Amino acid sequence: MSKNKTATDKPGKTGKWTRRAFIGAGVVAGSALVVGVAVRQGNPIDRLSPLLTNGENEQLLNAWVKVDTDNIVTAVIPHVEMGQGVYTALAQMLADEMDADWNKVRILEAPADMQYVSDSIARDFLAPDLDVPAIFEPTVTGGILELAQAMGLQFTGGSYSVRATGQRAMRTAGAAAREMLVAAAASEWQVPAGEITTADSMILHAGSGKSEPFSKFALAAAEQSLPAKPMLKSPENYTIMGQPKARHDIPEKVDGSAVFGIDAQVPGMKYAAVRATPVVGATIESMDASTAKTMPGVLQILNMGDFVAVVADGYWQAQQALNSIDTKYSKSEGDSLDQDALFARYATHLDEAGDDGGDMETETGDVGKGFADAATKVEAEYKVPFLAHATMEPMNCTAWVRDGKCDVWSGHQAPVNARQAAADAAGLPFEDVTYHNAYLGGGFGRRSESDAIIMATRIAKATGYPVKMIWSREEDTAQDHYRPSATSRFRGGLDKDGKAVSWDNIHTHLFDPKDAPTVPYYNIASHKIRKVDVPTQLRFGPWRSVDHSQHGFFIESFVDEMAHAAGKDGYAFRRELLAGSPRHLKVLDTAAKMSGWGSALPEKHGRGIAFVPSFGSIVAQVAEVDMSGAKPKVKKVYVAADPGFVINPDGFTAQMESAIAYGLTAALYGEITLKDGKVQQSNFHDYPMLRINEMPEVEVALINGDHKHLGGGGEPGLPPIAPAVTNAIFAATGKRIRELPLSKHSIA
Amino acid sequence: MTTVRTFACLTVFLLAGCSADAAPGPVEQIIVREPGAAPVATAASAATNNDPASALIAEGKAAFANCAACHTVEKGAANGVGPNLFGIVGRAAGAVTGFAYSDALKSSGITWTAANLDSYIADPAAKIPGTTMVAGAIADSAKREAVIAYLESATAN
Repeated sequence: MSKNKTATDKPGKTGKWTRRAFIGAGVVAGSALVVGVAVRQGNPIDRLSPLLTNGENEQLLNAWVKVDTDNIVTAVIPHVEMGQGVYTALAQMLADEMDADWNKVRILEAPADMQYVSDSIARDFLAPDLDVPAIFEPTVTGGILELAQAMGLQFTGGSYSVRATGQRAMRTAGAAAREMLVAAAASEWQVPAGEITTADSMILHAGSGKSEPFSKFALAAAEQSLPAKPMLKSPENYTIMGQPKARHDIPEKVDGSAVFGIDAQVPGMKYAAVRATPVVGATIESMDASTAKTMPGVLQILNMGDFVAVVADGYWQAQQALNSIDTKYSKSEGDSLDQDALFARYATHLDEAGDDGGDMETETGDVGKGFADAATKVEAEYKVPFLAHATMEPMNCTAWVRDGKCDVWSGHQAPVNARQAAADAAGLPFEDVTYHNAYLGGGFGRRSESDAIIMATRIAKATGYPVKMIWSREEDTAQDHYRPSATSRFRGGLDKDGKAVSWDNIHTHLFDPKDAPTVPYYNIASHKIRKVDVPTQLRFGPWRSVDHSQHGFFIESFVDEMAHAAGKDGYAFRRELLAGSPRHLKVLDTAAKMSGWGSALPEKHGRGIAFVPSFGSIVAQVAEVDMSGAKPKVKKVYVAADPGFVINPDGFTAQMESAIAYGLTAALYGEITLKDGKVQQSNFHDYPMLRINEMPEVEVALINGDHKHLGGGGEPGLPPIAPAVTNAIFAATGKRIRELPLSKHSIA
Repeated sequence: MTTVRTFACLTVFLLAGCSADAAPGPVEQIIVREPGAAPVATAASAATNNDPASALIAEGKAAFANCAACHTVEKGAANGVGPNLFGIVGRAAGAVTGFAYSDALKSSGITWTAANLDSYIADPAAKIPGTTMVAGAIADSAKREAVIAYLESATAN
């Protein structure tokens, strides 16, 4: 589509493209209006425009929006869709600020290009404590963007999309585009811009009765200067934000036309099945492929050092041949590691750290004195296992390396990283790699890793023809980057009135976010929170809600134990701790009220409450559990959530529900164990998922507590579910669960 | 004929590193067969229908399963990733309304004769550089012939 580009389109001496140069380039280029205009100075629109537009009849107004002659507004979304509804929510934010007609809004995923790296994520990576208010100004430029580009981030995760990209980029882009359209109309109509209104992708002037569609002024708008600080709407003027707009990606997922990474089709493509060394860090010493060589469809058998690959005409042929290959592995220091030894190792490190060792994460007041003076002392230790991601679509990647170029097809949470990983694996410059992203059949953090991209690229480089590598479910389960297992120990002190006065916690590992183990919202006079790093050879990776998934369980279990020791109800005890925070209290109170907290329940039923703020959103959950059967039955979950402002109530509610499905799966069953350094689980029979008959009814209340500071939606629904359930089990049976998953325990 | 290439030594693996060096290639590479070379002794299933024309169409219909990921062929059926193909044989390129063709295809001036279809399906990007049809090429000329026969028959019905 970039065929109209000519060699005359050169940047100026500064290396920056000027806006005039972009327009000129388009005219020079001839036949069609290829040109769009960058709002940001220096935005290399000549590269973006061909990637995003069909060349004619379309205007790229800025890096996030284009308008075509049919008055279709297209939102360019710099995030990936993995079922979380981000395309729709972000398009709503842009369209509302632009006053676009929602029925004429289309969505396009941004290419894996440096222009779409996420500035907000880079900021959190690079300077989490930096207080630079200017970054939050709704301007289109930002120095942090430069840093983000340097880091090559275009990442979907951390529940960032709406709260960061949406709030700072999509809304600003929509508002800027609207102001530029209005300015263009004002100029042509010779009326003051202030008299012009916009609605449903139309520009209106009441005084003269003039009205025209956006498309009429798209080209002229592109000539207008960039509004330095576009005016954003306040919530009472929102027309699309806050509405349960239908998801854009649902129809094609229902009719089966949606294309996921695993659906990639490339002419001449062959298939690869792979098997990596079962112990991470080992290498392949020998491989006996004598049978595989004779099997149907087999093209190549590759010993890649750290994995074996069979390339064949079909996937099944490749996998069958792979299964016949006998492989011997080198000794590795991880060979002796098993589950018990690993937790014993955690215990040793925690013991060694004692009362004052380890790395201090946060300290307030004098915990030692608080504990010594406490009228009641509570101590507890909790454990959680490794968890796999078990995405519905197994890991896969299609790659083609030839003639100094590389094309890669996959679904990845960080397309720019994937492109860079492929470039490194192929030994080619970034520019010579084209990365084609598709829908992700589940991400949960797993698809932020590039291991599959690298493997496929290495295979394709060896074969020279395109290869689609698909991991078997067994490989997917045994070669994950796992949610870390962890042990956490607490000591808490209560005064004579049963009020919490000291909180001492030490736990293994800390990955991200750094605030996961902390409880600043709970009013406790002294806190001390420390970590110890314990080596394990398993690869850690982010898992939905990352460290909040462990610490939500640890913290909210211990708060419940303190409440019990204080002779108080779990809800009443938390109310006391949140006394100074009305916004937090409202969330807690809402969940409790919805659940009928305190009302009678049938015999062997219990209610449990848990409260976890994470990723900028505040969530409380009450679980109702029936313990009369052979295993716990979670009947109902009441959720109250305050993400600041809910952009799409339907989408946000779905995220709460799916987080409960995912978190409850882990709480009930999720456990990856090690023996002789190898992962013992392989497929859904030994790594089960929640079944539909086990899914509780979920009721969600949404609270818009602060429209200026949005929280995330993808992850915050997860951390409270495990402790809400285990606290309910305690209420029903008196048995305290201190180790997950529940399937380890006989509690009925 | 099986080829075995053995590579010098196992060194440290570079996983997604900052290095510009390529990740390690194979330690051992057994090439059993090149793509496109005939597989050893696998009997192709013969068409059961005695009428060669309808056998060809049946074969084409089966082969079209791959194409159906992007294309419909029924009259009036919706465009997918690719345009509806009802009546494609003999028609001008880029003629389906409502489908966003590439400029390259739209301005190609091609009429979809069987011969043009054949060379296009063999290698779309070679026939029309700039086409957005990046998938679905059929290397096997017999299969192409069958698919084109099927497309023609689907229009006639």
